[in-house]
Parts: sequence; structure tokens; C-alpha cells
Amino acid sequence: MPEVHSTAGRAVLEARGVRRSYRDLVAVAGVDLCLARGEIHALVGLNGAGKTTLMRLMLGMARPESGLVRLNGRDLPRCKAGDWARVGHLIETPFAYPELTVTENVVASARLHGLQPPMAAMAAGESISDLGLTPWASRPARGLSLGNCQRLGLACALAHRPDVVVLDEPTNGLDPRGVIIVRESLRKAAERGTAVLVSSHHLDEVSRVAHRITVMHGGVLVGSLDPGGVDVERRFFDMVYAAERPFAGPIPEPPGEQ
Amino acid sequence: MRAAVAIEWLKLRRSRVVRTATAVLVFVLPGSAAAFMAAYLSGGDSQLAAKVSTVLNGRTWADYLGLIGQFSSVGALLAVGVVVCWTFGREFSDGTIGSLFALPISRARIAWAKGLVVLYWGLATSILGVLVAVLLGLALALDAAGGAEIAQAAMMPVGVATLTTLLALPLALVASAGRGYLPGVGALLAIVVVTQIVTALGAGAWFPWAAPGLWSGLGGAELAAQVTPLQLAMPYLVGALGMSLAAWWWKHCEVV
Repeated sequence: MPEVHSTAGRAVLEARGVRRSYRDLVAVAGVDLCLARGEIHALVGLNGAGKTTLMRLMLGMARPESGLVRLNGRDLPRCKAGDWARVGHLIETPFAYPELTVTENVVASARLHGLQPPMAAMAAGESISDLGLTPWASRPARGLSLGNCQRLGLACALAHRPDVVVLDEPTNGLDPRGVIIVRESLRKAAERGTAVLVSSHHLDEVSRVAHRITVMHGGVLVGSLDPGGVDVERRFFDMVYAAERPFAGPIPEPPGEQ
Repeated sequence: MRAAVAIEWLKLRRSRVVRTATAVLVFVLPGSAAAFMAAYLSGGDSQLAAKVSTVLNGRTWADYLGLIGQFSSVGALLAVGVVVCWTFGREFSDGTIGSLFALPISRARIAWAKGLVVLYWGLATSILGVLVAVLLGLALALDAAGGAEIAQAAMMPVGVATLTTLLALPLALVASAGRGYLPGVGALLAIVVVTQIVTALGAGAWFPWAAPGLWSGLGGAELAAQVTPLQLAMPYLVGALGMSLAAWWWKHCEVV
């Protein structure tokens, strides 16, 4: 299990009883989640579990029907510009305007996060280098592969050295080298004291990098997994199956039991 | 706000849609008017000359630049309208709207930044288009006129382009609420059709989208003379109201 950095402990982003439905579908049904400094918190679950909706709620992209989300101890609607300046995110579509170059995209993101032009240019250069995008720095984003586009989105999310990062499936479309680069970037961020919330389908990957793994299913948090434990995948399916049993829904057999 | 304006300006400059619209406003509209005037000046009894004489009644600078005003009342509305729809709707069509959440700058300000750069671009291209038209006019050997007279005649197409740019701004709300540029483009076409119908029914320049065309002489000199300053002021109200509603919508929208 990765070691939690010494700055961990204080909650910087937390959800309390948040609920959100879309017509008759309850996407998030009263979730409590706390994100601490220096901690990489992984959110895992099957497709449609409510992970993306929960992340949107925690970033103000969607409003909860009930419950509240706090950033730095302040309810989201009352957050100030300074609070948001220290947040980075990548939810589904990366910050990648096809007509802009890789560098221009990262600089634009950094400037929108409050950095002045010289600082934004410097931060963009570092972030592009960290994410291994230097060979494409002056190329338009429209020519990037899916994996590089994803890395560009990560570079934009991390360039301004945020205190809180929320990433939805950040390793989607990445090759093994890209996965390692992202893993190292998240570790470095956590070492700086950044609180990281990351969703993923890759259980082995999150168990390598996360300090905490929370399982979400049917819009609720159904338990947590020990990142250091063995057979994380089997325990994940046991947990999901146990949560699903009352509803008699179709759950795949855990691997190795067929 | 300054950062948002700078970034929106960069996106606008790099856009192929905007480059095409710029070419239409700066070269196609003045070029078309110059071609019409050239056909008119060539005279004769050709079918082309006969058709052109229905929209041109003289060879003065006022006639020539007034024709550009008439073309702009529809052409500039379409060109600027497409740019407005793209500028706002692309964030939803491309899925980048999510990136504009959780920022120290509010989405309402980002929307205003978009509106401001489109307005600036619309005014700059219309002035540039008139300058191109003046150069083409000099080559056409129109009736002799002084610089002051030409400048006065140029106020008409610049004014029409300004009004049509303002009238295109409410499309920002349609493209945003419709979550893509296509609903905005649909609304743009609807505006053009409704303007024709409303004008035919006699509402005249009280319908704001009809005012620039009627003022430029699209309905004839008699109707142009009847357009009042109040009617010409209404597009300013329409533009301000449209942008305010678009900014309000951006402030309250969610990612779905």
C-alpha cells in the first residue's frame, strides 16, 4: 500500500449526503465522501455506478437535490475564486481545443486558473514535460492520438499545481508507458500535498497508486478495499455482488469462479 | 476577465469557421457588390444589366456602398450568426464545457468574453470589408467624389454590419440552451425566414431583424426613409438582452 504523505489528514473536499437523480434514475443516492491532503483516493465501480455523477457534484458541474459539498470548508455555492484556483479536474472530455497547440491549451488552462501569462507559460512547460508531451508541444491538439489527448487533459488539470485534483478515468486510452507517466504524476502531486480523487476500472492500477479505494455501486458507496491486500478484483466483485443481491440484478460471475 | 477574453480571442482567430466567415465579410460581400456595379456600369441591354438595374439606380458611391449595406443585412447576419453559434455551441458539441467549470473565473464572465470578442470581430471585419469595397470602388471609376463623401456613404454598410452583429448575439442563448451549434444555426435560418414573412406582412422595421435591411434600402427608398432612430436603436437592446440571457444561462447550467 502506498505511503500517505505527511501532509495528509485535513479534508479539503467533502460530500455529505449528496443525492442526485435524473428523472426516475437515482444516479447518486446520499453519498458521504471525504478527500484529504496528500491522499490519492480511488473510486471504483462498474459502468453506471454513479462515479462520474458524484465527481460532477463535487465540482459543481451538477447540483445535488439534497446534501452538500464543501471545498476548503466552504459550501460550493459560497466558494471564492481563490478556492477554485486551487482545483484541477479532468471529467470525461479533456481541456483540448483542437485548433490550439498543446502548449496553448495548457497555457490557456493555467491562465483560466488564475496564473499570470509568464507563470502560466512556465507551468505549462513543466506540465507538458512531466506528462511526456514535449515532442507534441507545438502541434495542434486536433492531430493528437486519443492517449496523448488524454495526457494533454491531465497536463491542463495539473499545470497550476492544484491542491485538489478530480480525475475521471485518467488512464483511458493510454498505452502502458502513458499509464506509468500518469501514475508518477499523481504520486508527485500527492507528495506535494495535493488531494487526488481518481476513478478507474483498472483495479490493479489503482491498487498500485491509491491510498484508499472506495467501491461505488448503484449510486451508493458499498465499502472500501485495502490497496495492499491480495486479489483486489475478487474482493471488489464480492462487494458489488453483496450490494446487488437484494435487487436480484445481473452481476457477472467473479473471475476464477466460472 | 482579461484571461478569458485573451483565450476566447485566440480560439476565434484559430477557428476555420471564423476564417471562412471573415473571408465572406471582407471579400465576398464587397466583391459581389463590385461585380454588380461593374455590370451596371457596363450598361447595354444584356439580361445581367437589366437585372442589376433593379437593385442599382445610379453610379454614385452612395449607390455602391448602399448595395453592400443591403447585402450585409442578410449576408453579415448569416456569417456573424454562424460564428456566434459556433463560439458558444462548440463548447457543448465538443464536450469542453466541463473544462469551464470549477474555475476562479465564472462561466457568466466567460460567456461575456465570448460575446465581446465576437462583437469586436464583427465590427473589425465589417470595417475591413468596407475598406476593401472602397478600393474596389476606386478601380470601378465611379462618379467622382471626395473623401468626406465616400466616408459618409461608408457609414451605411458599417452601420448595417454593426446592427446585424448585435442582432446575431441572441443566438448565443439558443446555441447554449440547445447544447450545440446546430440548434443555433436552425434558429438563424428561422430568423431569416421570419424576417421575410414579417416584412411582407407590413411590420417593417419594428421587427428588429428587419430594420437594418429596410434602412439600407432593401425594401426600396420609400421604406428606407420611414425607418426611425428608435427602430435602429432596438438591435442594441436585442443584442444586450440576448447576451445577458446567455450569460445567465451559462451561470446556471449543468453538465449533463
